[in-house]
Amino acid sequence: MSAINYASKEIYFKIVYYGPGMGGKTSNLQYIHKSIPQDNKGNLVSLATDADRTLFFDFLPLDAVKIHGFTTKFQLYTVPGQVHYNATRKLVLRGVDGVVFVADSQWDKMRENIESFRNMEENLQEYDFGLDEIPYVLQYNKRDMDKIAPVDYLEFLLNKRDIRVPSFASIATEGESVFDTLNKISKLVLHRLNTEMKAAK
Amino acid sequence: MANCGFILLEEDVKQISEVLGDFLKETDAKSCLVIDRGGQLIAIEGDSATLDTMSLSALAAGAFASTREIARLVGETEFTVLFHKGRKEHIHVSHVDDDTLMMAIFDDKTTVGIVSLYSRETEKQIALLMKKSRERRNVNGLDFGALVSDSDNMFKQKDA
Repeated sequence: MSAINYASKEIYFKIVYYGPGMGGKTSNLQYIHKSIPQDNKGNLVSLATDADRTLFFDFLPLDAVKIHGFTTKFQLYTVPGQVHYNATRKLVLRGVDGVVFVADSQWDKMRENIESFRNMEENLQEYDFGLDEIPYVLQYNKRDMDKIAPVDYLEFLLNKRDIRVPSFASIATEGESVFDTLNKISKLVLHRLNTEMKAAK
Repeated sequence: MANCGFILLEEDVKQISEVLGDFLKETDAKSCLVIDRGGQLIAIEGDSATLDTMSLSALAAGAFASTREIARLVGETEFTVLFHKGRKEHIHVSHVDDDTLMMAIFDDKTTVGIVSLYSRETEKQIALLMKKSRERRNVNGLDFGALVSDSDNMFKQKDA
């Protein structure tokens, strides 16, 4: 959940990268960490197994551009994608402001994509969030692999709700669409906070 | 569900700092952090120059949340304290309220008993202050509309 500190003139947001195992969630954070100016980033913390599988989460704190005197601070998290780590996925979603769902474009990963998306929906529900309430974007990753589904098919599978959400075809390891995705979800969470603040006036 | 977790005004931060300052004086702990259970640092007092406070907060919240799940598995609601003993430095993480934790970092100048004892009173005071800030829904003076209109490219790459 976002937070505002008038003493330090900071606004905080939490973004979670969700999706099936080995889909590229950690690769997104690694590319962002590598590419963002030193002054705007903290340390990338990875709680991973020896085989580079995320065990608990990855964490990357970022400062975005200063707007009207307030520094917007984003904390990026990934969840472990493997099916049996659902308890930890739920924990990481606590206080989430926006989600990037990273789908694996390879044909043989379609079932995992759908299961992970449904799992995300269920876990968000535990925090009283429906998909119509929380900002999220879709990223169709691994577009450089051989046997991949067309983007239209991925849209048909994952982006068929009444309100279509922004989606990006990406190659996270090379940085393609990584920043477009990050900038879009950042804008959406700011927009949502603005709407909520207006409603509270 | 409300999106904004808390709004801290300058006076809140000042009061929290005073409460934490008193705690450090009483216990001789080195530093003390108030952390949102979602992983966000809320306040810190004491020696923080060498600490990566952002990562510390995220990891402490994660560790505390995971012990809560362990508690559930053994039939407890929650372990209210998490204590890690190091060779020189130790940490004590405790429950403040359903959304907030407090973390004390200390060395052998004091003991876990003293830290634990004074934590209890501090937790109550912090809980009261955080309750106010979590119930606050808006404050005049910040134009969020302007924030949103300028937010197209919040993050830029080094070579961009």
